[in-house]
Amino acid sequence: MKRLIGLLGLAFLVTAAVAATAIARPTQSTGSTAVEAINCRAASLGFAGPLTGPAAFLGQEQISWSRFAALQFNRQNKTNFKIVQGDTQLSASLARTVGRQFVSNSNILGVIGPSTSQAVISSAGLFKTAKLAAVSGSATRTDLTTAGKFPTFFRVVPNDFVQSPSIVNFSVGTLKAKKVVVIDSQDDYSTALAKGVTYRFRLKRVTVQRESVAATDTDFSSLVTNVGNDVQVVVFATQTAAAAQTLSNQLREQGKRAVVLGTDGAYSPGVFKPRNGYVSSFAPDIRLVRGGPAIVKAYNAFSKNKTFGTFGPPSYMATWVLMSAINTACRDGAATRAEVAANVKRTRLPSILGGQVRFTSKGDVAGAKFYMFKITNGKYTLAG
Amino acid sequence: MDWEKLVQIIVNGTTLGSVYALVALGFSMVYGILKLLNFAHGDVLMVGAFIGWGVLGQLGGSLDPTVPVVLLIALMMIASMIGGGLLGVAIERFAYRPLRNAPRIAPLISALGVSFFIQNTVLLLWGADFRTYDTFDLVDPFTGLHVGVLNVWLIRLVVIASAFAMMVGLYTLVKRTKLGKAMQATAYDREAAAMMGIDVDKVIVKTFFIGSALAGAAGVLVGLVFGQINHFMGFNYGLKGFTAAVVGGIGSIPGAMFGGLFIGLAEAFAAGYVSNTFKDLIVFSILIVVMIFRPSGLFGKAAVSKV
Repeated sequence: MKRLIGLLGLAFLVTAAVAATAIARPTQSTGSTAVEAINCRAASLGFAGPLTGPAAFLGQEQISWSRFAALQFNRQNKTNFKIVQGDTQLSASLARTVGRQFVSNSNILGVIGPSTSQAVISSAGLFKTAKLAAVSGSATRTDLTTAGKFPTFFRVVPNDFVQSPSIVNFSVGTLKAKKVVVIDSQDDYSTALAKGVTYRFRLKRVTVQRESVAATDTDFSSLVTNVGNDVQVVVFATQTAAAAQTLSNQLREQGKRAVVLGTDGAYSPGVFKPRNGYVSSFAPDIRLVRGGPAIVKAYNAFSKNKTFGTFGPPSYMATWVLMSAINTACRDGAATRAEVAANVKRTRLPSILGGQVRFTSKGDVAGAKFYMFKITNGKYTLAG
Repeated sequence: MDWEKLVQIIVNGTTLGSVYALVALGFSMVYGILKLLNFAHGDVLMVGAFIGWGVLGQLGGSLDPTVPVVLLIALMMIASMIGGGLLGVAIERFAYRPLRNAPRIAPLISALGVSFFIQNTVLLLWGADFRTYDTFDLVDPFTGLHVGVLNVWLIRLVVIASAFAMMVGLYTLVKRTKLGKAMQATAYDREAAAMMGIDVDKVIVKTFFIGSALAGAAGVLVGLVFGQINHFMGFNYGLKGFTAAVVGGIGSIPGAMFGGLFIGLAEAFAAGYVSNTFKDLIVFSILIVVMIFRPSGLFGKAAVSKV
């Protein structure tokens, strides 16, 4: 019996040692894949975004446009780059897990995303160590780039340093707001944005009532009860368009005069469709820019008329930026992650949304701005 | 004292509490009879909400319903109750019955598995997009009760009234009917009930059907009053419903009703008078305090087992 237990113990130790080696291997390869060139025929890109969960509408739109970009790029350049999906939901820990998977997959030479700011915070450190370039089409928190902590992180959309003054100037200038409510939804993106918006409102001597809701909340009626009848605008920093819609409904239900102004995370014409409201966006409606209708037509044929808002086209550009960088690095048939990251930094590409995509030394897209949309009976029109 | 605000907060809390109470009843009934925490119960609510949304779409949608609104809401409720009930029966048959004599951890894990299975099935069938009831197109937000600046939307009144009607109906069923007595007997001692000629399996199936039907109805009420539904909404309502059942005394039907309303009102008062940020902290602090001073819940009875 003792011998049997001894043998079992030995077997367990051997299994544990093998498992530990197996687990450790990807970490070791992390360092090596950062410098080792890979054959470009196997080159892939990771996609990190919320494919399920409360922000799935965002991730699904982005992955669809990224696939569309990959199809067009591969056709035009006779390449065969693939996209590996990673579902981050709205969870920082899941984003870190996805980040680890991408880093340990030596075929991945760049990451599209992560989509949300908290996902960038939890995974961009891993990408930095692995010299893996990440280009986001939607993460807007200001310090992701300005703090200089993530040198391999880039974004094709403007940051919240641009969004906050856009919202405040629009609320004060166009909507003549004197008293506002600013709500965050308790995540990295919305708390920083709400703080910036509040600060700027106060600079303009606007009275601000600060509120906070959980990202999973579905009922805001008691918060709405506390919104005074003299409040003109409720700025809701959220990544869940449905929450913005519920808030807007409940304001109306309780007879409040205030209208909801959703931040870029709420931009979703199929979901956030109040009778009266506003939403900011980091991208214009592609249907309205020069050359946009042709791309929309091709996309509709590709996606079988999937509905989309403003999240998809920037993701298309992020994919295109990365694929161009990989393609350039692949001229000799092999590429390293460091080469790709360096190429991303040097990007000069015409954007499907107008203008050019090029990055500042910090990784922000140069010369970008936010757009304000007015929503009337669910219909979006550009307002500023 | 701002009386209008107070009344508005009570209305908000009662609406939320009515939904929690319906969910808590399902938890309590199943626990009472099987001593099982049915963690998939919140997902039955979610499926009920989707069934209601499907019926709404089939009957013309909110903008252009092909039947009168009252009939439409009634049909949505009936369909979701039947659908929810049948789903509950299927869960019992395939996920819990084979494990009835297994260690208690096994059905608990099975319940979690069923929860994920249902969530992902709905995700696969209907996608990740939020679905909307667009109830404002169905019933104007200004239709209802108006006193001063106080506005109570008709749909809120419908939600509260129908939830109370279902609770009273269930209470009457359990206390006054043969099936109710069989349920009580099975909950008290399953083996003894079987020896007395009660078909325990049938009673368990009917309990699951009724509890899940209430969850299905709660799903429609959530869709009607809050407007948006999605495949993971069951988790939050399941968690709050479970908390309500524990506060009220899990296994007790009046306890579940009281617990639901209590949690809903506590949440509304916390959000309205303290801070929206800390409403969950306050609700779960109440749970901890109740558990410390009354471990079997406010209406629960301490279990005595013969040794």
